[in-house]
Amino acid sequence: MAASPPIPATASLPGGGRAETKRAPSARVSDHLFAVIPTAWLAIFFLAPLGFTVVYSFGNSLFGAVELGFTLKNYQTALSGFYLSTFLRTVQFAITASALCLAVAFPVAYFIARKAGRFRTLALVLILIPYFSSFLIRVMSWQILLARGGVFEVILNFLHLHDGPLDLLDTKTAVFIGMVYAYLPIAIVPLFVVLDRIPGPLLEASRDLGASRLQTFWAVTLPMARPGIATAVLLTAVPMLGEMVIPKLLGGSRGVLMGQAISSQYLQSQNYALGSAMAVLVLVSVAIVVAALARLTKGFAEVSA
Amino acid sequence: MTKHLLLPNGSFRSAGFSRRSVLGLLGAAPAALAISSAFPGRASAESASGGALNVFSWPNYFSNDSLANYARKSGVTPNITSYDSNETLFAKLNSPAGVDFDLVIPSSSWIKQMADKGLLQEIDHARLNLGSLDQALLNRDYDPGNKYSIPKDWGVLGVVYDPEAVGGEIKTWQDFLDAGAKPGVSGKIRLSDSGWETIGMSLWTHGKDWNTATEAEIRAAGEEIKAFAKHVKTFSGLDPNQLANGSIVLAQTNQGTARAAIGLNPKLKFVVPGPMSELWVDNYAIPAKAPNLDQVYDFLSYQLEPDVQLSETQYIGFPAALAGLREKLPADTKNADLIFGGKDLDFTKLTSFVVDPATIGVYLEVQAEIQAAAGG
Repeated sequence: MAASPPIPATASLPGGGRAETKRAPSARVSDHLFAVIPTAWLAIFFLAPLGFTVVYSFGNSLFGAVELGFTLKNYQTALSGFYLSTFLRTVQFAITASALCLAVAFPVAYFIARKAGRFRTLALVLILIPYFSSFLIRVMSWQILLARGGVFEVILNFLHLHDGPLDLLDTKTAVFIGMVYAYLPIAIVPLFVVLDRIPGPLLEASRDLGASRLQTFWAVTLPMARPGIATAVLLTAVPMLGEMVIPKLLGGSRGVLMGQAISSQYLQSQNYALGSAMAVLVLVSVAIVVAALARLTKGFAEVSA
Repeated sequence: MTKHLLLPNGSFRSAGFSRRSVLGLLGAAPAALAISSAFPGRASAESASGGALNVFSWPNYFSNDSLANYARKSGVTPNITSYDSNETLFAKLNSPAGVDFDLVIPSSSWIKQMADKGLLQEIDHARLNLGSLDQALLNRDYDPGNKYSIPKDWGVLGVVYDPEAVGGEIKTWQDFLDAGAKPGVSGKIRLSDSGWETIGMSLWTHGKDWNTATEAEIRAAGEEIKAFAKHVKTFSGLDPNQLANGSIVLAQTNQGTARAAIGLNPKLKFVVPGPMSELWVDNYAIPAKAPNLDQVYDFLSYQLEPDVQLSETQYIGFPAALAGLREKLPADTKNADLIFGGKDLDFTKLTSFVVDPATIGVYLEVQAEIQAAAGG
């Protein structure tokens, strides 16, 4: 680096050398300095724990400690019997909840982007504001709504859709209601953004060419919303894979999910090795989801350009 | 690549939002929470007199009045931080973050593990007067001779139920399991989320000791509870209101929650079923590296004074370890017997669980299977 001035800037230099040599050295130093901060942050708070997790996952568990080594035993356990079925149930659960969330979020985003007119900012703000209050309090307030004698029971009885006491709390339905509620804002926002960006003339052109509203939606709106859908799935399904609070507060802790299983391995069993192996498996499945979604939206840049 | 994934090119620019600003907003709330929880109140407990006392305890586990009195008397305000489980306490003491603590409150189940790991120091009995404490709570199997622990308060595992809905009296754990399978009761049951408390029901019924049961015995007992799991509504913390409004009619719980529920609905009954049940004791214990040892013993002597024991009992709702405490409670205390687990609790039929690295994993695994079998 220090000896760089005599080297001529030729096209044959490998890597990023070309662009750098054209700039003043001072700019280069400050650029690097800026890059160091986030890199160090990531390295210390993200990569290092991740590294520990991966290393631990191949170790032997002692109570409250890990003896380093190389064994696939933990993965064998994590991929067999009860833990495998927990893993599969979690994946299925995240997919279902994410799909439900999307199904609710799409019409809302569509309405705000297309129909809300000058109230769109207000509508977005109203959707985001609850998100700023404590997650726990928002989920716990659903306990009051869903419990026996709660608002849901009163309304459904009033509408004659249900008769008598209603025990929604501690059911799967309650868990899905809580999931959709909790993740709705982060599904609406990316959908709103893509829907908002679809140029009006495209829709007019579609209509001019004789397409019905439904055909326009199917052939123009939906394909163009693809990246928003992918983002919404990513932002909801990934945290859902690790969700543990909502099943506990609204689902009576029945039907154990991966988040609870991992936390109980770490905390209660003090089995860091198995917990780490399970966490790595979740990470791998998240990576697969991300890769799949990236593929799904590939080529979109060309379409929109 | 991320760019393609998230949005079409330039999509946000004219929308008046940028992806980063929106995501920034979305991220801000949880981030703020995370930051505030990462730096909990660790204000220095240094006081005018120069002494300090750092207590690591369950939340809200000391009476404010007696703490204030102690501060007046000694000039030292105990600095209290809290944890929500023995596991958290163990993990923290077992890490460099645990070196400041002078006093911790582990439950009976974890004393042995913490002592074996060298996390606790032996208590100097010469500096404290344990004579006023209930002898039934001393020298129990989780810590023979009270080498590492002094009982703070205690509770039992029992059953609260609605006799009308259950259709009879419950005297044993077998009664509990039989009653739970009845229509009208099935689906309105709460079980503990602790493996040993659910599997214990079956172990005790078959005359086994939960501290010496082998893996095979634990698994066999677990099968029985797994078959029962389909009747269970919840494993989460018991809300007394759910008992009061009838959405739960039969529940495993401690006497404190039962007393709260019976306060709301006097029809309910509490029983500690036979042949055995659990006694848990939360204990004062001193970490091996406690920096303010003299202050700890001073505070402990204060805590063991009868007046303070009484005030603690009234504050937390669980009985302190003082002998003859029942008679010292004001006459107008509602359901006073329930504070002590009922009128004639037989301490010889109570056993305390001791976490053993060889079997704890099995208990937890089987409990996870039980909760999974409950579906939901």
